[in-house]
Amino acid sequence: MAEKIRYWQALNRALDELLAADENVFILGEDVGLYGGSYRVTEGLYAKYGEWRVRDTPISEDSFTGLGVGAALMGLRPVVEIMTINFALLALDAIINLAAKVPFMAGGRLPMGLTIRTPGGVARQLAAQHSQRLEHTLMNVPGLRIVVPSTPQDAYWQLKQAVLSDEPVVVLEHELLYFHEGPLDPAAPPPPPHRAIVRRRGRDLTLVAYSKMALLAQEAAERLGEQGIEAEVVDLRSLSPIDWNTCAASVARTHRLLVVEEDCRFAGAGAEIAAGLTERCFTRLEAAPMRLAGLDIPTPYNGTLEARTIPQVDDIVAAARKLVKEGS
Amino acid sequence: MDRDRALALLHDMLLGRKFEERCAREYMNGNIAGFLHLYPGEEAVAVGVIHACEASDYIVSTYREHVHALVRGVPAGEVMAELFGKRTGCSRGMGGSMHLFDPERRFMGGYAIVGETYPVAIGLAYGIAMRNLPEAVICFFGDGAVNQGTFHESLNMAALWKLPVLFVCENNQYAIGTEVHRHSAVPEVYKRAAAYRIPTERVDGMDVLAVHKATEHALRQIRAGTGPWLLECLTYRFRGHSMADPGHYRPPVEVKAHQRIDPLELALRELSPIYPTPEQIAAAGPDAILKLRQYCSDQGHLPDEDFRQLEAQVDAEVEAAVRFALESPEPSLEDAWQALLANRRGETLL
Amino acid sequence: MKRPITMPVLSDTMEVGRLVRWLKQPGDRIRKGEVIAEVESDKAVMELEAFDDGWLAGPLAPEGSEIAVKQVIGWIADRPEEAQGESSPVEPAAPEKAAPPPAPAKPAAPQKAPEPAAPETAVSPVVAAALEPRREDDGGITPLARELLAELGLSPDAVSPGPDGVIRAGQVLAAALAPPAPDLRHAPSHRVERPSALRWKVALNMTRTTATPQFRVTTTADLEPLRDFAHDRQWSLTLLLARACALAVAAHPLFNQVWTPKGLARFERIDIGIAMDIGEGLVTPVLRDAGGRPIEELAEDWRILKDKVRRRRLQPQDYEGATFYLSNLGTFPGVRQFDAIVPLGASAILAVSAADASGQAALTVSCDHRVVFGADAARFLDTLVTRLQHPEGLVRS
Repeated sequence: MAEKIRYWQALNRALDELLAADENVFILGEDVGLYGGSYRVTEGLYAKYGEWRVRDTPISEDSFTGLGVGAALMGLRPVVEIMTINFALLALDAIINLAAKVPFMAGGRLPMGLTIRTPGGVARQLAAQHSQRLEHTLMNVPGLRIVVPSTPQDAYWQLKQAVLSDEPVVVLEHELLYFHEGPLDPAAPPPPPHRAIVRRRGRDLTLVAYSKMALLAQEAAERLGEQGIEAEVVDLRSLSPIDWNTCAASVARTHRLLVVEEDCRFAGAGAEIAAGLTERCFTRLEAAPMRLAGLDIPTPYNGTLEARTIPQVDDIVAAARKLVKEGS
Repeated sequence: MDRDRALALLHDMLLGRKFEERCAREYMNGNIAGFLHLYPGEEAVAVGVIHACEASDYIVSTYREHVHALVRGVPAGEVMAELFGKRTGCSRGMGGSMHLFDPERRFMGGYAIVGETYPVAIGLAYGIAMRNLPEAVICFFGDGAVNQGTFHESLNMAALWKLPVLFVCENNQYAIGTEVHRHSAVPEVYKRAAAYRIPTERVDGMDVLAVHKATEHALRQIRAGTGPWLLECLTYRFRGHSMADPGHYRPPVEVKAHQRIDPLELALRELSPIYPTPEQIAAAGPDAILKLRQYCSDQGHLPDEDFRQLEAQVDAEVEAAVRFALESPEPSLEDAWQALLANRRGETLL
Repeated sequence: MKRPITMPVLSDTMEVGRLVRWLKQPGDRIRKGEVIAEVESDKAVMELEAFDDGWLAGPLAPEGSEIAVKQVIGWIADRPEEAQGESSPVEPAAPEKAAPPPAPAKPAAPQKAPEPAAPETAVSPVVAAALEPRREDDGGITPLARELLAELGLSPDAVSPGPDGVIRAGQVLAAALAPPAPDLRHAPSHRVERPSALRWKVALNMTRTTATPQFRVTTTADLEPLRDFAHDRQWSLTLLLARACALAVAAHPLFNQVWTPKGLARFERIDIGIAMDIGEGLVTPVLRDAGGRPIEELAEDWRILKDKVRRRRLQPQDYEGATFYLSNLGTFPGVRQFDAIVPLGASAILAVSAADASGQAALTVSCDHRVVFGADAARFLDTLVTRLQHPEGLVRS
């Protein structure tokens, strides 16, 4: 039975159930305990499971993420919350040099059941240092898996799957999704964590998006539908690995690809998606793939400018219309 | 210290020395590649500390960790095979000199980014504390690593949560080519522990028995639940930072002076009821192995005959390790994928 | 006086807040800094403090309701009496859709530093960035079209590109269904040039007419009386021929229809399209309502149309939508007889040849057999010939 629930509540419920089911699971991060998490994701868990299972850390991103790595080496399942992905830059050594490398360098003889939860993306006027999208940085690291849930249902299941995996998984959340409401049906069997989902069927073009942009793409697709353009929307759900089959099957049907990403355009996630699908669908394309992305500019504080630097629903509609019109 | 323990220390120090000298040779033979950081001069630290540990304790080490692995019991053949990049290496040929791992012996790796050992160690210690186990973690690092942020971050957390970690600073007085007083405002590393109220001791890292004793003491406290300890071991590397480093930044007289206090020699001095006079040391000459032999026979612990036997035994061990490494197969690309995907547990992706 | 209390913005991501509960009742004395309500944001339950001294006044937003930020949730009155009065009601507001702030009138930041401010544009900057690397192709074949060509065994030479010069899947399919193109592999060396847009369009339209089942019926008529009449009265011969056609069509309304996939379209006006040679092709200016309007008006239209043709100013509304066509080669004395192709959109076209020595000229009408039959055509020609014999009847309205 599905119930309406907020994104943060879905994450909270998943963590609660994980902590209850497996004593190897523990949470650590800044203000995850007594305070309940800066986006309420760990609310109530400290009181229920105690300080060793839900650990408030000092502001030491590199070391507490590395602590998670060390604990994972002995078979524990740490869930590290990094308050925003902007702070994860301080922990890149732990993520890239340790979590992604140690099991490999040990010849595959050590587990790495580490989960890193962190929100990214442009929220509301947080300025350049607090508005980054760094998925491209992590996508380029073999040995890491990256999931990007856009709905409460996916947030719940993909977090659970991440924690139960022996591979290091980064769960990229979005600051503007936490308060987003949607159905959660914990009984519905989840798809594999890396599987993309076709959120809407269409024949005229394929919109590939993820995280918050997947929701915007669906909104744009409805608007396009009213204008007689039927857009298919693929929500990637995972950025590493990418479900090429689902994407390629869609592009092969629609012959046109529009990638929508909040990430900066230059060498962003969309570049990989466009290149990967061009390689796979070259002979099925009727137009060059198009990337609608964030501008290559640090995010300005001013709200109007901020909105203009990342794709909005109107932009997706306009870009889709241009793409469909090309040559027809 | 009883004779068996003393001889075990001696054996491991001798093995560490001969293994490393052989590595240098094999590097020049082209059998070992990449970065190679050798340990001669510092043996008393690895041997003294690790001999004081339990088998259930975890060891986290740096990129100069061959001897730590050997002392921990990782077979010399597997270590040499790893340096040769072979499939039989302790890291399956994926890690190399700087990344030796042996999960069964709780040897949790060599880490090649300076300052990485602290967070890994406190993570293991966190798990131990969470499960309330009587285990501890030994975290090795050099004097150059104390200026990384992770040193302060991790010591803070370890002290805050009373984690069972023994931080062991191998202070060989150089961060590659930068001497300790040129890279640290407070060159005495042990003083930094005070900032986190971590009990600490500075020991002569050329004196294996002193190191051993200090480690035993610290681990007793740690197992009693008082939280972390920090041991600063003053030591010296006889060679350059790595094979690529001639070590020209150090005056030859300084190197010579340290070679005169070779830890192997000191080990024997500790075993002796009567300390040798400076004249005796001078008479023994610069060769540490000769001095060692002299003192052993003087003390009656190790007659000449037995020492020759021990030396021959270590030589044979190193020779066997090299032969094992040479004869071992190369890993395949398939092995590399296996190493990457082992934790995927057979889950098939797209 | 009463001042509003609004739903506070408590976090960077907050769009709506839930009013958990009021800690004061309307009429209660409240002091600045005192906690008067609890509000739940997306991050936490927070206390809402009074920003001023006064008395809490209704109406208050209901407890448990969700209210968009900055919306009024209650009031603070200066005097206790006011706190009892009525105010505009507070509706629990649905959160506004996460709309971006309105676009500024001018793009505030130039895209590239060295350039002056970006020009005013209706396209948003992110869309502009997405479009920037895309160039207008003046040729080429899309990958899908290329694969279709291979699958269908077609040569790109056999495909007419789209208006932008690119061959896409649609054009390949059209070529596959079209009659075979000439194989020039063994022809003398040659150069392929893209014809003018006009010629291209005519070629396309003519190709499309091959699906029309056509037949032709020919008669002869003495055009001397018409020629003399035109000469004497200074009327254009073509204009008079068009007028004759229009009147004949009016007498035979079957000819003022066209076949569509849904049935016969019956036109309520007769518009005559007249084929004109312009050297590099053919245009068909249209005389609207050629049967119903005074000949003087038609003459003026015809003068304007001819002028537009000469100055190449013909607009689509000038040459599209004729219901009957006329093609006159009478100025070429050697042409004894020819027939024309029925254009799409009409049911018939009349071909007028040159007169022989005895003054007789061949008139051939080509017809869409789905619309009219042979006897219809015979009757039509009979009427037409009669009209041409009595030219004065053409100029009376």
